[in-house]
Amino acid sequence: MIAKISLGAFLALLMVVVGVGSFLYLGTRQSKIVQPPELPTAAQPSPNAFRLPGTMVLEQGGALYSLSNGRFHQLTTPKGWTQPSFMPGGNLLVVKRSSVFSDVWTMSRLGHPIKQLTNNAAPRFSYDIGDNHWVFYPRISPDGRSIFLSYDSPKFGYEVDLSVWSMPVNGSLRSGRVWTDESAAPGYTGGDLQPVPVPGGVVFTRYDRNPDGSIFSQVWYSNRAGSFGHALTTPGADCREPSFAPAFNYLAMICTYGAQVSNLVIASYANGAVGRLQTVISNQMVAQPTWAPDGSGIAYLAPVVVAEPFQLWFVPATSFFQPKPSPSPSPSAGASPSPSPSPRPSPSPLVLKPIQITQYNDFDATSTLAWAA
Amino acid sequence: MLGVKPGRRARASRRRLNPLRSLVISALAVVLAAGSGSLAYFLPAAMIAFNASGQSIDLPTPSPTSILFSPTPSASASPTVAASGAFTVLLLGSDDDSKFSGDRVLTQSMILVRVVPSTKQVTMLSIPRDLWAPLATGGTGKMDWAYSYGGARAAIATVEADFGVHIDDYIWVGLLGLIRVIDVIGGIDIVTSNPVLDDYYPLDVNTNSLYGYQRIAVLGGPQHLDGTHALEYVRSRHNDLQSDFGRSRRQQQVLLAIRAKAKLLSAEDIPSLAQAIGGEIKTSISIDKVARLLPLASSFDDPSKIHTIVLASPYTHGGAPDGSLFPDWGAILPLVHQYFP
Repeated sequence: MIAKISLGAFLALLMVVVGVGSFLYLGTRQSKIVQPPELPTAAQPSPNAFRLPGTMVLEQGGALYSLSNGRFHQLTTPKGWTQPSFMPGGNLLVVKRSSVFSDVWTMSRLGHPIKQLTNNAAPRFSYDIGDNHWVFYPRISPDGRSIFLSYDSPKFGYEVDLSVWSMPVNGSLRSGRVWTDESAAPGYTGGDLQPVPVPGGVVFTRYDRNPDGSIFSQVWYSNRAGSFGHALTTPGADCREPSFAPAFNYLAMICTYGAQVSNLVIASYANGAVGRLQTVISNQMVAQPTWAPDGSGIAYLAPVVVAEPFQLWFVPATSFFQPKPSPSPSPSAGASPSPSPSPRPSPSPLVLKPIQITQYNDFDATSTLAWAA
Repeated sequence: MLGVKPGRRARASRRRLNPLRSLVISALAVVLAAGSGSLAYFLPAAMIAFNASGQSIDLPTPSPTSILFSPTPSASASPTVAASGAFTVLLLGSDDDSKFSGDRVLTQSMILVRVVPSTKQVTMLSIPRDLWAPLATGGTGKMDWAYSYGGARAAIATVEADFGVHIDDYIWVGLLGLIRVIDVIGGIDIVTSNPVLDDYYPLDVNTNSLYGYQRIAVLGGPQHLDGTHALEYVRSRHNDLQSDFGRSRRQQQVLLAIRAKAKLLSAEDIPSLAQAIGGEIKTSISIDKVARLLPLASSFDDPSKIHTIVLASPYTHGGAPDGSLFPDWGAILPLVHQYFP
C-alpha cells in the first residue's frame, strides 16, 4: 500500500520538477547575443588588463564615459551626449543630440556642460520640422582658434546634405564659413562628414556616387574655405573616418573596398598628401580609429563577433611599424606625391593580434573617441 | 509474520511494484514531463508559426498570364524548381499601420530571392516599387500597387508575368515586424553606405499621429543598429534622387546583416522571436519546409556567392507617370533570366 502511494507521489513530484525544469532550462539556453549590454562603469577592465595611456572619452547610449588608469567613470547622464573631442586645456567639445536637432557644447573634463555654442532648434513659431538643423563631429583646429564641424546648411527641399563648416571658438555659426558646400553637388549622398583640422587645412570624409548610382566614401583634403580640394584616397578604397597621429605624419582610417567589412588602414601624411595605404586590421568591423596622444598605437571600436555590439580595442604601433624607418613613403594611386620624410609602414601583410579592452559594452560606433594625454 | 494470512500477503505483494517496473514507469514519467515542459516552451511559437506560414496563394494554373492584362514583356513563367533544389522566394515589405485598411497595403520593398542549395548561391534582385508595369489585377501601374489591389497573389502573379520567372513562395513582413525581428535578435552590425538624413520621414510607427513627420539622421560607417534605426536606414527615400535604388541597396544590406546575426541564434530563441513577430509576417512556406530550410541557412556563408542586383540605369529610366520608372524590358529580361533561369 505504502509502496504504490509513495511511488505515485514520487512520480507526480518528479514530473512537476522535470516539466518545470525542462521549461526553465530551455529558457536559459537562449543565445547570449540578445542580452543587454553592460554600462562601462559596471564592466571595469580587470586590474591586469592592458591600460591605455592618458584619458579617453567614449559614448554609450547617449552618455559619456571617461577611461583613465584602467577605470571607467560616468561623465554625463544619458541625454544624447555624443562625439566628444578634446580642446586645448582639457575641456571637451561635444554634441548634444535631440530627436530632431543637435547642438555643439563645451564641457568640462568632469562632464559639466559649460556653454552651448550653436542653436539649431527651429524658431519657436516654425511649423516646418525642416527648420531644425543637425551639427555633428566638432573638432578644434590645431591653432585653437576655430571649430570645424559638419552642418546641414544650406539645404533645399528634401535634400539634406552635411557640409564642412568652420566657426570661431568664441563666435557662432552665423559668423562661420562653409568649407565644402555639398548642397551644390549633384545627387544626394549625405555630404561631407567628420572634418579633422590639420595644419594648413582640413581632412574629411566625402560621400560620392559611382556612375551606377552606388555610393562610396573618400577621404578628402581642402586647404581653404570654398576650395574644391582633392581626394586623398581612391573611390574603390571606400575610406572614411580619418584620424591623425599626434605629429600629423600618419593618417589612420577605415576602408571598406565597397563591401560590408571595414579594414583599419594607415598611410603616411604630409601637406595634404598621403603615402601608400597599409592595411593593419582586416578581419574585424573596425570603426572610429583614433591615434593615441603619445603615438603609441591606435584605439578603435569593433564587435568581438560580427553582429554584436562594438567594444574598445587597441593595436600598438610597434606591431605595425617596422623598426627601421625608410626616408619617404611612395605615393598611392590617385593620391598626390608625398614629400613626407615619415617612417614607412611594413609593405608585407600584417598579422596582428589587437588587444581587447572591453567585453560587454555597446559603444556608439558613430561617435568619435576623444583621447588626451 | 507467522500471523499474516496467505491471502493478505498476496494482496500486499500485488500493491508493491517490482523495481524494474517502477524504473520503467519513472523513466516514462521523466520523458513525458520533459516533453510537456518542452511543448509548453515551444507551443506558443508553433501556434504563431502555423498561423503565419502555409498561407494559401492559389496561383492560377497553368500560367498567370492567361488572366492578366496583356503585359508587354514576354511572360513565359517557367515553373522550374531545378533538380538542384533551387527555389525562388518573393520578399515583400509593407507599411502596415492604420493608414491602410486590412491587407490593402503598398509594398515598400519587393525583393526576388533565388536560392541554389547545391552551389550555396543566393541572388537578390530588388524590384523598384515605382516600376511602371502591367499589373496582374488589370491595367498598368506602379509595382507596389499590385499587393494593395490583390494581396500576395496579385504581387506574385505580376512579378511572374512581367519578369518571366517562377516564384515558389512569398514572405511578407510589416514595418513593425522588421523592427521587432532586429530588436529581438539584439540588433545588427552594418556598414551604412552613407549618412541617411531625412527631414520628412514618416512618423507612423508607435504613434497616433499617422500623417506626421520626423527628422532622422543615421550616420555613415560601421555601427550597431537597433530595429528602429535599421528601419530608418532602409525606409527613407526622400533624399534618394535616383528614386529608391539607394533604398533597395540598403534593404539588401540589412537583409544580409539579419542573416549574419540569425546564424548566432539557437533553437531556444524561437519562442521569443515568434512572439515578437507574431502577426507581422505571412508566408506561403509551410512549417515542414521551414524546418528543412533552416539547417541550410547557416551553410550560405560565402559572401562571394551572394549576388545583389538593383535595376538602376540602364535597366530603368525616369519619366513615367506619377514619378515612376519606365522599364527597359529588353535589358531587364536577359539579366533576370541569367540569375533566375
